[in-house]
Amino acid sequence: MPPVSQTIRVTVLFFGRLKDVAGHAEDSAEFSDAATIEQLFALYAARYPELAKYRSSVVASRNQEFAAWDTPLRSGDEVAFLPPVSGG
Amino acid sequence: MVTLPHDDIYQLVREPIDMAAQIRLVRGPEDGAIVTFDGFVRNQSHNRATLYLDYEAYESMALAKMREIGLQIHEKYSIHRVAIVHRLGRLEIGETSVFIAVSAPHRAAAFDACRFAIDTLKRTVPIWKKECFEDGAVWADGELPPVPAATPRAKPAS
Repeated sequence: MPPVSQTIRVTVLFFGRLKDVAGHAEDSAEFSDAATIEQLFALYAARYPELAKYRSSVVASRNQEFAAWDTPLRSGDEVAFLPPVSGG
Repeated sequence: MVTLPHDDIYQLVREPIDMAAQIRLVRGPEDGAIVTFDGFVRNQSHNRATLYLDYEAYESMALAKMREIGLQIHEKYSIHRVAIVHRLGRLEIGETSVFIAVSAPHRAAAFDACRFAIDTLKRTVPIWKKECFEDGAVWADGELPPVPAATPRAKPAS
């Protein structure tokens, strides 16, 4: 019997110029199977092609911690895509 | 594990920063020095006249990262108290955007810790500024925070 796949639902946040490109600050996404932060970004890059240009100058966080692109998503995660920071 | 003194201050604010109040709060009878950093809005950027700046933050994460900086400087330097306050929203020329105060028994630790705190804040705290000019606005160039390259438990590529 194949493993039962569980829907993964995550909250997605965009900041700075990424918010301008995506047109909103917050969204939610669902995956029917295992997915990584990279796949989540790809989902939005497909929806907003302009976003793809920023891939090399974006970092991601998962639940307020910087996270690698291959980090697996878990239901309830808050993932944010962050452009270079410029506080101070 | 070092725990943060509960009288350290980590804040994101939308009103002008009261620097004198922060200095009073980090000052203790066992201290001999306070070093402060006052970062404020410059009137130009790349030779273009700036009208004002607009700051935004990923607030929950920014506060967590500011506390992390506090933890790091308590571990690295012999300091007493820390205040790190960053302002958000619209800031006019000359207004303070970030203020850091570090108290210590001796000045060297306070200087080093304050320098480390502002340098680390500028690299790792998720805050962004938009520079507004006569002819439009742009997100300021920034630094990409260091991020783990791959998760430790990730499967190797097949």
